[in-house]
Amino acid sequence: MNSQRGGAIDQGAAGAPVRGWAQFKAIVRKDLIRELRTRDMIVSMILFVLLAMVIFHYAFSVKEGADLTYFTGGMLWVTFIFAMLLGLNRSFAQEKDEHCLDGLLLCPVDRVTIFLAKTVGNLVFLLIIQAVAVPVFTLFFIERSYLGDVLPFLIVLLLADVGICALGTLLATISMNTRSRDLLLPILLLPLIVPVLIAATGATTLIFAEGAGLADLLARVLFLLGFDAVFLVAAWGTYDFAIGE
Amino acid sequence: MKKLVSAPALFIGAGVFLITGLMLAFWYSPVDSSSMGFSQKIFYYHVPIAETALVAFGIAFVAAVAYLRTQDLKWDRLSYVSVRLGLLFSILVMITGMIWGKAAWDTWWAWEPRLTTFLLVCFLYAAYWVLRSVVDEEQRRATYAAVFAIIAFINVPITFFATRFLPEGLHPVVISAGGTGMEGSMFVSFFISMIGMTLLLVALTRRDLAIENLKDRVTDLKTSLGG
Amino acid sequence: MSDAQDRQDGAAPLEIEVDGLRKTFGRREVLKGLSFVVRRGGFLSIFGPNGAGKTTTLRMLATLLTPSGGTVKVAGHDVREDPMPVRRAIGFISHNAMLYPDLTAQENLRFYADMYGVDDREARITELLERLELSARRHDVVRTYSKGMRQRLAIARAVLHRPRVLLLDEPHSGLDPRAVDILDGLLTEIRDEHTFVMVTHNIAKGLEWGTELMIIEGGRIAYEHAAGVDHDSFSAVYREHVHDGSVV
Repeated sequence: MNSQRGGAIDQGAAGAPVRGWAQFKAIVRKDLIRELRTRDMIVSMILFVLLAMVIFHYAFSVKEGADLTYFTGGMLWVTFIFAMLLGLNRSFAQEKDEHCLDGLLLCPVDRVTIFLAKTVGNLVFLLIIQAVAVPVFTLFFIERSYLGDVLPFLIVLLLADVGICALGTLLATISMNTRSRDLLLPILLLPLIVPVLIAATGATTLIFAEGAGLADLLARVLFLLGFDAVFLVAAWGTYDFAIGE
Repeated sequence: MKKLVSAPALFIGAGVFLITGLMLAFWYSPVDSSSMGFSQKIFYYHVPIAETALVAFGIAFVAAVAYLRTQDLKWDRLSYVSVRLGLLFSILVMITGMIWGKAAWDTWWAWEPRLTTFLLVCFLYAAYWVLRSVVDEEQRRATYAAVFAIIAFINVPITFFATRFLPEGLHPVVISAGGTGMEGSMFVSFFISMIGMTLLLVALTRRDLAIENLKDRVTDLKTSLGG
Repeated sequence: MSDAQDRQDGAAPLEIEVDGLRKTFGRREVLKGLSFVVRRGGFLSIFGPNGAGKTTTLRMLATLLTPSGGTVKVAGHDVREDPMPVRRAIGFISHNAMLYPDLTAQENLRFYADMYGVDDREARITELLERLELSARRHDVVRTYSKGMRQRLAIARAVLHRPRVLLLDEPHSGLDPRAVDILDGLLTEIRDEHTFVMVTHNIAKGLEWGTELMIIEGGRIAYEHAAGVDHDSFSAVYREHVHDGSVV
């Protein structure tokens, strides 16, 4: 039970990068255990996404034989974005309610490490949901097989996900500390995420409707890559301010 | 900038340039040879307003960074004054854009790059205001607003880029890669209007900032008097 | 109470140095210039009415808040310039357990051990759980714990990384007698070589443990004294100094 005698406790810079990676893993693991144990967020988000698809069908079934082919990308991404709006808030709500955020901030951890860990955690949830939702969506809405273009599809998916999760994590951190927690996040996030939406839906629809290889989608893929890079850096620089005090 | 030019002088200067620009636009510059005809002249206001709005958001960005570094609330005041003016100008862009659209192509609204970007910009900075309104504590509010102002400004050019992925629009691209695409006389009118609009922004910013600083002092006095 | 404060062979080094500490929230000035020190091995008990700024002061020592003015040094590091070493050196116990309810005791402690970089993680966790009589419930989620058990686990969380300084925010509040005994037993065990700052409403406990006593009122230090004051005198002093919001 005794503490180290005398001298500074500081373990020195040598331990720092190693510590950061271990801390990153610890936070991600903690969030994953928590959510997979209670399962309520994951299950709710999956149900939400599937329900949204059913609703899209009924909402658009106005004319006999209406062709939704060029709407598919849009439907898919709108669903994911709205699901994430629900999920992002939840990922912070508990930290706030149980004052666990204080516990986290007391730790000798770089605030950026917290940001990256939270973003990755959210990304994992989004991917899990998409793993369930995309096959179902394909079943409901896609006539032609796009198996040949699965790789470009997954690349677009991942890149868009990163953008949504990075910005979403940053903004959720801010909005959770305000009066109108849940309502603020969509207002802040949606305008910012429109570029991702445009690029991702364009690419996805092309893949679903006509088939497109990486070459055709290059512009959009590069755009998403650029978007992710820019905003990861921006969030990196500002996260300390978002989470502090 | 502060005491160099007095506030009234700025407003007068702005007025002079804007009115001159307007007169030049109507009587000096030629009527546009393309289908738009006379209505094209709204361009002499529409584009300067748009560019000035972006300048305002840029000022807000710089002020936000300054606030985060210094924690001095005067930067926060400059930031939100600029956002407010930028938002105002952006709404004007939308209105003039819609008028132009109706006059030139007989349609009130078109989902094309410039207009939709500004629509989004309006929503973005309106969100800034909502954010400010739900944080009660001053320093925290300024901090969050600054973070958002930074992210938002970075997002503006990116959004503009993204709209290029959308199907072709009606809006003629004036400032294209190969120069301004305008004849000499058109350019003069445009330039004068541009200066006028910028002066207007500076004048309004000065005035609004002064008002906000005054408000702040009043609140300070009230607090120290036990209010 | 403790050998560590034997001043005859030279005063112990300063572990906490607060100089001209100010804090404003918006326009409200909560702390108006606090200055005090705590030597290594000392135990500072802070009393005062609600809203006086006691918890704010503690949170600043813990790097959870940044000072608006003045300097704060803990374990030789400035909390503003150099917060990381400060965080490694402190443990914080408050009436909020800061534990994840859906994780087990073991998972909670493993998490914090990883965050603090505790080398002998498993051994340390086992040792603490035994000491705090929680071994049997090691694999139960914290949601199923009673308040007393959560507080005990919170203590484990706070001392896991062997901090030199312990910050306690009303640690005895809401505890059943058994939990109070365990807490006191633990404090006794680690009393030597540790420095404490405790905010409390419990005058008896504050006097029992404190080597220095302080009353904060209206954002200022209203009274400070070394230990040796008995309960009644202190209560009188307290009532004398705490006057509906103004410093006497």
